[in-house]
Amino acid sequence: MEESAAIPAEQPTPTGKNPAVATAVTIAGWLVPGLGHLLLGKWGRALAYFLAVGTLAIAGVALRGNIYSPVGGDAFDRLGFLADLGAGVFYFIARAVADGTADVSRAAGDYGTRFFATAGVLNLLCMLDAREIARGRKS
Amino acid sequence: MPINLSHFQALLLFALVIALAFAFLTKRRAGERFRYTVWAFLMFLLVAVALGWAMYPLSR
Repeated sequence: MEESAAIPAEQPTPTGKNPAVATAVTIAGWLVPGLGHLLLGKWGRALAYFLAVGTLAIAGVALRGNIYSPVGGDAFDRLGFLADLGAGVFYFIARAVADGTADVSRAAGDYGTRFFATAGVLNLLCMLDAREIARGRKS
Repeated sequence: MPINLSHFQALLLFALVIALAFAFLTKRRAGERFRYTVWAFLMFLLVAVALGWAMYPLSR
């Protein structure tokens, strides 16, 4: 994308090493996938991450995967909840529109559960990427 | 709207999205990102099909 040509590799961003900015970018990146990068001016990456996380999350719901609730029964349910929660706003939307529609008796439903959890974990990676950029450790 | 994907369609979608996201996470130039996306996508498919065949005897 365009920003990669404008900023050479390993060059710190202008926002550099401000912990408050890094924290704000991290929270924004979690809440809306790609928003952290957008705030840093990395619009190409912001769009790519939003589309990637959004595609996985929407596919997960459309495949009728299980969206874990915070009151899970066992350790795997709680891990699933943490993974799903990583998707930020997509998690809250999914809980609102797809509550009770899960059908994991079919393979597609089981794939949906994994798709949504992957969306959450992927967004956590993107969030950490934005944080490292804001702290000046990455370009 | 519920959708229903076959095993292979789900694999294709998953591999494409993850390959693209990892390319943007790990590479900074457009050419590198494209090559990494293609490479990771093909590796996803190759490894998944290979594992499928490796587990075939266990299904009988």
